[in-house]
Amino acid sequence: MELNANAFGRNSRKALLDKTLQEALGRTTGRFQAHRDAAVAAFPEFEATRERASRIKRDVLDHLDTYLARFIAEAEKRGTIVHVARDAAQAREIAARIARDEGVTLAVKSKSMASEEISFNEALQGAGVTVVESDLGEFIIQLAGEAPSHIIAPAVHKTREQISRLFERHLGEPPTDSIPELVGMARKHLRAKFLSAGMGVSGGNFLVADTGSVVLVTNEGNGRMGTVLPRVHLAVVGIEKVIPRMADLPTFLRILPRSASGQAISSYVSIVTGTRRAGDPEGPERMHILLLDCGRSAILEGKYREILKCVRCAACLNACPVYQSVGGHAYGWVYSGPIGAVLTPLLVGLPEAAALPDASTLCGACADVCPVKIPLPDFLLELRSDAREQGLKTPGEIAAMKGYAGVMKRAGLLEAIERIAGVLGQFFTKGKGIGGLPYPFSGWTERRDFPAPAARPFRKQWKIKRGARG
Amino acid sequence: MPYNAGMDPKGPIPVSLFFTCLADAFSPGVCNATVEVLERFGATVRVPLSQTCCGQPAFNSGNRKEARAMARKFLLTFPDEGPIVTPSGSCAAMVKHGYPVLFRNEPRMLARARAVGDRIFELSQFLVDVLGVTDPKSDFSGKVTYHDSCHLRRGLGVVSAPRKLLRAVPGVEFVEMEESDRCCGFGGVFSLKNPQISCKMTERKVERILATGASYVTSGDLGCLLNIGGLISRFGYPVKAIHLAEILAGGTGGLSSFAADAASEDARPPGTIRRAGGR
Repeated sequence: MELNANAFGRNSRKALLDKTLQEALGRTTGRFQAHRDAAVAAFPEFEATRERASRIKRDVLDHLDTYLARFIAEAEKRGTIVHVARDAAQAREIAARIARDEGVTLAVKSKSMASEEISFNEALQGAGVTVVESDLGEFIIQLAGEAPSHIIAPAVHKTREQISRLFERHLGEPPTDSIPELVGMARKHLRAKFLSAGMGVSGGNFLVADTGSVVLVTNEGNGRMGTVLPRVHLAVVGIEKVIPRMADLPTFLRILPRSASGQAISSYVSIVTGTRRAGDPEGPERMHILLLDCGRSAILEGKYREILKCVRCAACLNACPVYQSVGGHAYGWVYSGPIGAVLTPLLVGLPEAAALPDASTLCGACADVCPVKIPLPDFLLELRSDAREQGLKTPGEIAAMKGYAGVMKRAGLLEAIERIAGVLGQFFTKGKGIGGLPYPFSGWTERRDFPAPAARPFRKQWKIKRGARG
Repeated sequence: MPYNAGMDPKGPIPVSLFFTCLADAFSPGVCNATVEVLERFGATVRVPLSQTCCGQPAFNSGNRKEARAMARKFLLTFPDEGPIVTPSGSCAAMVKHGYPVLFRNEPRMLARARAVGDRIFELSQFLVDVLGVTDPKSDFSGKVTYHDSCHLRRGLGVVSAPRKLLRAVPGVEFVEMEESDRCCGFGGVFSLKNPQISCKMTERKVERILATGASYVTSGDLGCLLNIGGLISRFGYPVKAIHLAEILAGGTGGLSSFAADAASEDARPPGTIRRAGGR
């Protein structure tokens, strides 16, 4: 996917002015959060489960090589062919080769954010394979030629009116404002694709090390159809998705749907373990797993290791007031919201995405809801500090910070400045708020007054009343 | 709490005031109100006059070198013992959680940062959890709604103390707003770097405030209040931003920064504020 993360400022201003987007965001984001809160409230063991999930993930990261080796061995034992890609280019190459070798011309794909990281669809199209997105949201944005704007609800930025127009134009369907009718149209169109596709492509929510299984948590049934109907199944999954044992899976199934959509359990949980065996009524004849490193092992070695605990539930997006204001596209890459603001710079390099860690008020709502307890605000702060150390701050900001720190070193100097500001402030504003400030403060006063400095600061008042001793 | 363990419960309680640079420069009335309330409940207030800023804007923007310089100054400014009280959840959280990050590679400063962090309290937290105040003895009256500042609520875990105090003021009709714990959009440097998003969030906050029909919106952080108050002032909405300390002290005005009529009152030296307690 094309990277545009450093344009966050411009992207977000555009998003704020987009009335349709604002309407779509207003309709949906609050609902996700309300559903999540209700589901968590109805599950008293949530906190304990969250703690356990976090602990399991930490153990996985501490022994990732061991668990991955076990997973690969178990998967291969069951007839799965496992590939490992170091970076996006290699992943694209491997994916195209698999499709070519398997003689595939049409692939149906269920939702996978990892596949977006490597521009999977473009890679297969380059190899002459048509890829049809089968998740409803992904299907919609594929027709629109757009990227997902949310981890689990990729078309959350679209209104039903826009979707109806897309279906009219691309599928020849009559206009409608009924959601069930729109779903019916997509289903009819996709059914034919499922039946004729040579390969089903999926992501993977979990890789179970002791059984070599890929676990898919979905709601629409497209993941299930795509992994049992076509002759070949290809799962594209990040290496950090491994969990040690099948016995650990229930812990994650308890927190993931609740955090994602407020469901106690998703409509489908598919556990795909190897190719079809003799006597199996269904399942792929050939199965490939493409494991993506793509920067993950580098993250594992550093101070941001815990970001790899992420289960992609998107609860942090739904809780984030910044995400809710601008939507996912403003973040300019695959992942958006607080997880995107941390993960994108780590995966693509901080110089390419230094604007993202600044896209947060550090309010902490994300950390409150994260089901695996990733310290997102701490990581945002850490990345901002890295940006300074890597020379990515503007000279203006550094000069301002040095000036401010210089003043704050001496209370007497601060007092003198306050005195001047107080006199000027009172003279020009008569104590009322300031309606217009020069750049770089002008943004503040576009729709807000700035406070007028006090005529007599507290320190001065205290000295007058109680003496200079403190 | 560990703090008054061993202290004579009837004797004077020595408290150091961390008045914050923001309140010093923009709303000294908040500092005066804090002193007033602390003294009302038996505290002897000391004000280290060489204090400046805790360094949060530098820390939050990733400029740790500058933040560390300010943190060092802060740690040397405040005395070695006794509680430090501040009318700001955000500044208290900075000292408590930010300083240990800044000094993680300096064991001696880290120990000092942790020790000071253990002694710092936001005003409502100190009143309720340490002094055990149940009746703030304020004659403030009006319909009030409360905004949870992010750093007070999530950083320090202070949720019920300010509400208990507000509910205990006889003249206060307390009403909860929807989404009281949702960020107001200030975020310090965020409001300068992404002012349009910041303002969008502030607008939503102000909508929720107006929906309560309250005459006052209060909070434990001046940053939020100047932000919310700035939007209220621009659009002339019929609600005033006022700091929790001012309500507890029994003031009547609201933040002086946006009100010409309060400017003179604002300059009033401490001690001349009308005593509201002792009824």
